Parts: sequence; C-alpha cells; structure tokens
Amino acid sequence: MRGSDYIVRRVLYALVTVFVAVSLNFVLFRALSGDAVTALRCKQCSKAFKEAQRRDLGLDEPLWVQYKLYLGNLARFDLGNSVPSEKPVRGELIEPIKNSLPMVALGTLFAIVVGIAVGVIAAWRRGTAVDKGGLYTALAFYSMPTQWLGLMLVFFVAGAVGLPTSGIKTATLGLFTDASTWELFVDRLRHMILPALTLGLVLYGDYALIVRSAMLETLGEDYVLTARAKGLKNRTVVVKHGLRNAMLPIITLVALSLGFIIGGAITVEYVFSYPGLGLLTVESIDKRDFPLLQAIFLLLTLSVIFFNLLADLLYFRFDPRVRT
Amino acid sequence: MIAVEDLHVWFDLPDGKELHAVQGVSFQLQEGSRLGLVGESGCGKTTTILAMMGLLPPTASVSGKVLLDGVDILERGEESVSPHRWNDIAMVFQGAMNAFNPVRTVGEQIAEPMKLHKSASGREADARVRELLELVGIPGDRASRYPHEFSGGMRQRAAIAMALACAPKVLLADEPTTALDVMVQAQILELLVDLTGTLGKELGMSMVLVTHDLPVVAQVCDLAAVMYAGEIVEMSGISAVYHQPMHPYTRMLFAATPDLFGDDEVLSIPGTPPRLDREITGCAFRPRCDSALGVCETVRPARRLGSPGHEARCHLNDPAIAQAGS
Amino acid sequence: MSLIEPLQNASEDALAEGVQASSRRGFVRANLLGNKQAIFGLAVLAVFLFLAVFGPWIEPYDPLAKTGPVYAPPSSAHWLGTDDFGADMLSLVIAGSRVSLGVGFFAAVVAMVIGGSVGVLSGFFGGKTDTFLMRITDYVLVIPDIPLMIIAAALFGRSLTNIIIIIGIIYWTSTARLIRAQVIAVRERVYVKRARALGAGNSRIVFKHVLPQVAPLLIANTVLMVAVAIFAETYITFLGLGDPSTISWGRLIENAFNGEATINNAWWAIAPPGICVTIVILALTMVGQSVEDGLNPRLKVGHLSVRRFRLRPLNGKLNSG
Repeated sequence: MRGSDYIVRRVLYALVTVFVAVSLNFVLFRALSGDAVTALRCKQCSKAFKEAQRRDLGLDEPLWVQYKLYLGNLARFDLGNSVPSEKPVRGELIEPIKNSLPMVALGTLFAIVVGIAVGVIAAWRRGTAVDKGGLYTALAFYSMPTQWLGLMLVFFVAGAVGLPTSGIKTATLGLFTDASTWELFVDRLRHMILPALTLGLVLYGDYALIVRSAMLETLGEDYVLTARAKGLKNRTVVVKHGLRNAMLPIITLVALSLGFIIGGAITVEYVFSYPGLGLLTVESIDKRDFPLLQAIFLLLTLSVIFFNLLADLLYFRFDPRVRT
Repeated sequence: MIAVEDLHVWFDLPDGKELHAVQGVSFQLQEGSRLGLVGESGCGKTTTILAMMGLLPPTASVSGKVLLDGVDILERGEESVSPHRWNDIAMVFQGAMNAFNPVRTVGEQIAEPMKLHKSASGREADARVRELLELVGIPGDRASRYPHEFSGGMRQRAAIAMALACAPKVLLADEPTTALDVMVQAQILELLVDLTGTLGKELGMSMVLVTHDLPVVAQVCDLAAVMYAGEIVEMSGISAVYHQPMHPYTRMLFAATPDLFGDDEVLSIPGTPPRLDREITGCAFRPRCDSALGVCETVRPARRLGSPGHEARCHLNDPAIAQAGS
Repeated sequence: MSLIEPLQNASEDALAEGVQASSRRGFVRANLLGNKQAIFGLAVLAVFLFLAVFGPWIEPYDPLAKTGPVYAPPSSAHWLGTDDFGADMLSLVIAGSRVSLGVGFFAAVVAMVIGGSVGVLSGFFGGKTDTFLMRITDYVLVIPDIPLMIIAAALFGRSLTNIIIIIGIIYWTSTARLIRAQVIAVRERVYVKRARALGAGNSRIVFKHVLPQVAPLLIANTVLMVAVAIFAETYITFLGLGDPSTISWGRLIENAFNGEATINNAWWAIAPPGICVTIVILALTMVGQSVEDGLNPRLKVGHLSVRRFRLRPLNGKLNSG
C-alpha cells in the first residue's frame, strides 16, 4: 500500500470515527437529559416545570431536528450554554483546559522518561536484582489506585517538602503585594508538582512495563545475536538494535494511552482540588450540567481519536516495512 | 588456520543439572579448506561453532581451546574472544533471513562491522558494501534498501556478504540453506563454493559448514566431521567418509539419505539420540547401532585413526577388539 | 482497519492483547513473571478470599458501629486504629474485601460474557459479522472509559448491581479482541475442519470444539479483568458515586479523603485500604499473566546478557580415553 494512500485512508477513517463519536455523543446526552429531567425529584418539579425544562433543553422537538441543530451548532463551535451559569460552555472550558494541560503534560513526560529509562535498564540487565527491582516497583505503582497514591503523597511527602496540596494558586499571593511573573510562575509550578507526580508515578508503572516488555521481545530477535556476533558492545546493541526497534511498539502504545490520560486525571484533580478539566467533569456531574458535560465528553473522545490517529501515523513514519 | 582442541560445553539446566552439549570436539582447519559438520539436530554442531565465537549464553560453561593461528582466543572467555568477532571469525546464522534488523538498511548493517573494527568508513565503506553485494550476486544499488524488500534467497546472500565484510579468516555457516526452496538452495551453495574457493585462495579463508543435510556437505566441503551426542564420531576427507565410512552412524546416515536416482530402500535410523544431561557409559550410539559389540556397552570408544586423515570413535576399528569377536 | 491491527493481532496471537488502555497492559505483562510468582499471587488471593468469605466471623468489631474514639491510632484494642466515625479500621478493611472482590469478580464476569460472546461470534463467523462487530468494538474503544463510567454511575447506579453492569459494559472490548484472535486460530485447526466435513452444525462446533480451546485464555483474561474492575470500583466510589450502603475499599479511601484524614494525621485510615487494593491487583496480575504466558508460551531467549559464559579449567579426566 503506498504511503500517501495509507495516510489518506487513516485520516478518513478517523474522520468517520469522529462523526460517529459526535453522533453517539448526541444520542447519549439527549437520552441522559431526557432521563435526568424525568428523574428530577424536587419540590417545585411539577409536571409543568419539567415540561418547561424539556422545552428549555430543546427536548420537545423531534429527535431528527434536534440532531441537525446539534450538528449545526457544532459546526459553529457553539457548544450550548451551561445550565447553572447560563454562560456559553465554550468559555467555561478554556480555563480548566489551560490548567490541566501543563499538569498532565508534566506528569506524562516524567512517566515517559523514567519509564523508558527503567524499562531499558531492566531489560538489559534481565534477571539481575536491578531488573527485579525495576519490575516490581513498576508493578507496584501500576497496581495503586491513583487517588490513593495521591493521598499518600499528600500525607507523607507534601509536608516534608513543603508543597501545596490543593488548588492552583496560593490565595494570598499577589493579594496584598504585587507578585512578579516569576513568582506567579513558580507558585503555579509548585501547585502542579504533586498532582503531576501522582499521575506520573502511576503512568510510569505502565510505561516501564511496556518498555521492558518491548525491549525483551526485541532482544530475543535474531538480529541482536548477529549484532553481538559482529563484535558490537552490549551497550551499542541495546541502543542501536534493541531500543531503536522497540521504539516502534513503545511509541504506538504510549500515543494510544495519551488519549485516556485526561480521564485518568479526574481522580488526581479531585484529590488535589486542582481546577482542571477533570475536576470540571466531576463538578458538572454533580450539578447535572449536561451541556457542559456533553462538551467535555466530546472533547475527551476527540482527543482519544486524535491520539489513535497520531499513533497510526507515527507507526507508519517509523516502520519501513509499512512504507514501501 | 583455526584449530579446536578438546572443546567441551555445558549448559545449566533449571533443575540444577547440566547438559553436556559438546564433549571433547577437536579438529583442525588449514587455510582454504572447507569442513562440513554434520549431524542430527541436538548433536551439538551449532553449539560448537557458537562456542568458537564465544556466543554462548550465561548458562553455558566452556573448556578447551580455540586456536586461531596458534593463539587460544577462548583463554579469557568473552574478553579474549570478542576482539576477534567478525574480524577473524564471522558467521552466517541459521535462518539468516532474520539476521537483519528490519528498521535499518542492509547497507548500513553490512557497513556496521567495518566501521566498528575500523577497517573502513564513510565513502570507502559504502564502496566496499557495494562490492560485497556484487560479489554475492546482488546489484550494488540495493544497499539502501530495507531487508523486507529482499527475497529470502537474496537476504541469505546479503547475510553472506555481511559475514565477509571484514575479510575474516574463518567463515562459519549454520544451516545456510534450510528454509530456502530447492532452486535457491542450489544457488546459495554454488555461491559458497565459489566464494570460499576464490577467497580461500586469495585470503586463505576457511569455512565450517554446519548442516544436517549430507548432500550439501558433499557438494561444498572437502572435509567432513560427523557429530553425534556432542562428539565427533568420524572425520575425514569427503570421499573417504562417503565411500569408506568407519563408523556405523555415518554409514547409516548415508543409507537414510534418499537417493534421487537410486533404487535402494531408504532406511531410517531407529531410536533417538541420548539425553545429554546425564553421564553416558560406553558408546553413546550403541542403542541405535546395528553392529554393536559387547564392549560397546561399557567402554567409551577412543579416537582412532584409520587411514591418514581419517579418524573415528568406534570399537569396530580397533583390530584387537574386532578380532576378539562380539 | 487501523494499522495498529497487525500489531494487535500479532501480539494477540503471540502473547498479548490489543491496545485499549487496560489491555495495553496485556502486551506489557508478557515476559513478566514465572511460576513462583503465580503461586505467590494465588496464595495472596486465597488469603483475601478467605477474609472476604469468613469476614463476618473474623472481624473484631461491627464495622459500622462506633467502637472507639474518632481517629484513634493503632493500639492493641484497634490494630489498625479507628476512622472518622470511630469505627474499627481493621473490621472495615475486612468487611470491605467482600464488596471490592465481589464487585470485581461479577463485573469481570459481565465483561467476560459480553466480550467472549462478541469474540466468538466475530471470530467464528467472520465476514460481515466480524467486520460489523469489530467496528462496534473500535467505536466503543474510542470512548474514554473513566468519564463514561463516572457519568453512568452518577445517573444510573447508586446500587451495586448497576455498578457491576456499568463496569462490565465498558470493559468488554479487550476480551472480545483476544477471544476473537484465539477463535480464528482454532477455527483453522484440522479437527474443526474435520468436524465440519462430518456435518457438525455451527453450535455443535462452537460448544464442543472452539469453546474448550478458548476457555483457558478466557479465564486468564477474566482474572486480569477482575483487577481492572476493582480499580474501576475504587474510582467510582471515590467520587462519591458508589452505593452508600456498602463498605468497600474504595469507599474507605473516599471516607479518608472526605473525613480529612490527612489533616488529622490518621495514616491508618488512608493506608490500609489502598494497600489491600494494590496487593490484590498485583496478585491478580501475577496470576493472570502467568496463566496467559503458560497458554502462549514464549520461547524467546534473550540474546543479550550482562553475564557471560564461564570458563572451566582444562581437566585431563574429560579427555575421552
């Protein structure tokens, strides 16, 4: 299959998936809204009130009409209005996304770097204490519930190193005296560290295991023996033949995981009261703010699709067997 | 020239025992000669040549000498043998189709040992890569291609070219034609004969060819060593092994080889090779031998010379024992 | 079909699962562990199972009753101290095992039934059925698991049953893929073809020939799925969406969080439930992966090692006489 053919096919497939996701999103949240309205139990929730709600949410129109409306709005990036605040959903999303992204990126980067390092070394020194150590720490972190790890870090680490354990900003900073940009930046960073570390440690477990596995696979291949036979030193073999080849499955699997990380960040943000997209998700569930939820959900689904596509394309780029 | 002296290899087994895979193998190869190492799978032939390059896993222990121009390269284990890899001894592996890393070009991989051992670099290396490829019958411009773009047979040729990259003194070939179809097999063998002939004369390169396939040995080699249960049970020039085998195993091996033009029945050798994780009393082949004597059960046959350059481990060649009867 | 398919299919056939978040771990876990670990894992699971089953008789106190001061540190009366209500932590943890393990198990069964059925149907019938089912699987895979689970739990399920169903419905995809690959392999085997030639009907072939071959892998996968389900339950309850009338380890972690255990320095309220979850997940992983490895043996030997072959001194005795 020719290169450009492949790329086109993959992009088209992703677009189809986007369309399906958008539609499913519509169905899901219309159904949910309908159910939610039906399920509303409150003092003033008379039948009339519920009817009014339905009309507000546009639930009284035929489904087909609602669907077209929805698609049309999406095309104009109109995501509806948040129920409690009545403000456009679009606006509500910006700040949380700006908060989540750096934190998640920091944690993921940490996980990738440490994960690759530990995975490679463990595979290289297979069977030794180093391998077992790396393996079991990775397994341990991978088996820990994220929120629990967060709590443990708060308990045992935060106090010891003086890191903040909630929010994104020290409330008093800049309140009475001017705070420099640098101070603000550092403050932000300090608030990010624990949540990012929590996320990163759990991810690290996963990644280290992936890398170790991929390396062990690769180091069992015939061409590794040939490389040794040619007189290459172990270190050269590990990097040039082992890691170089293992990067293929590693990149793919890591890219695929990226789409799901924000979902995983939900519990972290909850523990640390970190005002990101994850926390927003929980809050909007609490408040039954369906338009906002719908938008967040769509965003998350789209990011999964995007990273899947990215993984495909990366694989394509780096595996010569596919390109010709 | 290369000589192997009393080589033993043991492998640790998970239950604490050891597998004695190679039991006292010795042979000498003069410059330009080609030795065929023949035997059933598991007889230790691959382990022997791997040991010659020190490519054994950590579960292995080795004793004996591998003398390259009189110097024991195994003397200090990995340390003393690794400088000789590819420079002096190179190998074409079994299933050499997989000897290439799929994500790098063939040319890069052929040039790799050259750069490592500093025999050539940069454009000089590229030129040599093309030369080598042409030598094995591959167009030189294929160097920039990836391994999956080659057919099985061509990859095998490329593997041979790669083995010759540093002009080694000894080429070890492990089942170079298995997994190739018959036509391609024939071509590869012809190539090996040509190469080792030419390079044998020019550079004094010798070859050890490991195979289970007798006709291959007949076609390519001038010396043959038959291995069984970790030992060389017979070794001689090619025609002597064929026409005057001294060991029943050799004889039965030939009888078991289908002869395309003959009408002889194809006989198979009943039974299986012995386990090598325990000590063997007497001759290892006795349970499957059709001419066993009483003494074969208790006494291990020693290496005995028949005619010059023809040796075997069999009591039948001992005039004293043979006369004494079964 | 995604390019990842060959990677997934190859890895499924050879050693591991596809590339959904949780099943990525399958690829990872291969090459992982050996028999000793499996036995250790089983032992650990046996202990927890025992605790879950015989809990009511082992718990030193009624887990729901206030039997001590609030946030009392571990003492001889309360080995793991007390929680924010004054209830004994040890009893709570033991009681929690029932729900956590129970939900994990049943949710995994649901996932196994759905995933197994999809996998068998898809793999056995192939063609349009296969394409259709796999497309659906692809789309389900794209939905972020945790957000969906949380939303569903918020809306439909404050009851254990609903939670079990929700978890099962979200996580069946990796099982489906794995089973499908296995079924495809089995389908091509000689005895299946022979059975068909002899006129056996589809259901007969599936039940008599295919399922027995697929069952071991299914079981191994279910074990791993239990781990996923236990995780999922902790996430749900942590966000306050669990069944309020039950105690589970996830619930205990939530309690610690809401009861501000950190401020009260009450590590004994935070650590034990999480440690239990971690240990159980570890054990399940060890066991599940060992079984999977046993079924798909990987004969690959590493060609690289930091240790070297050893030399033995020449021994005259070894020369054959």
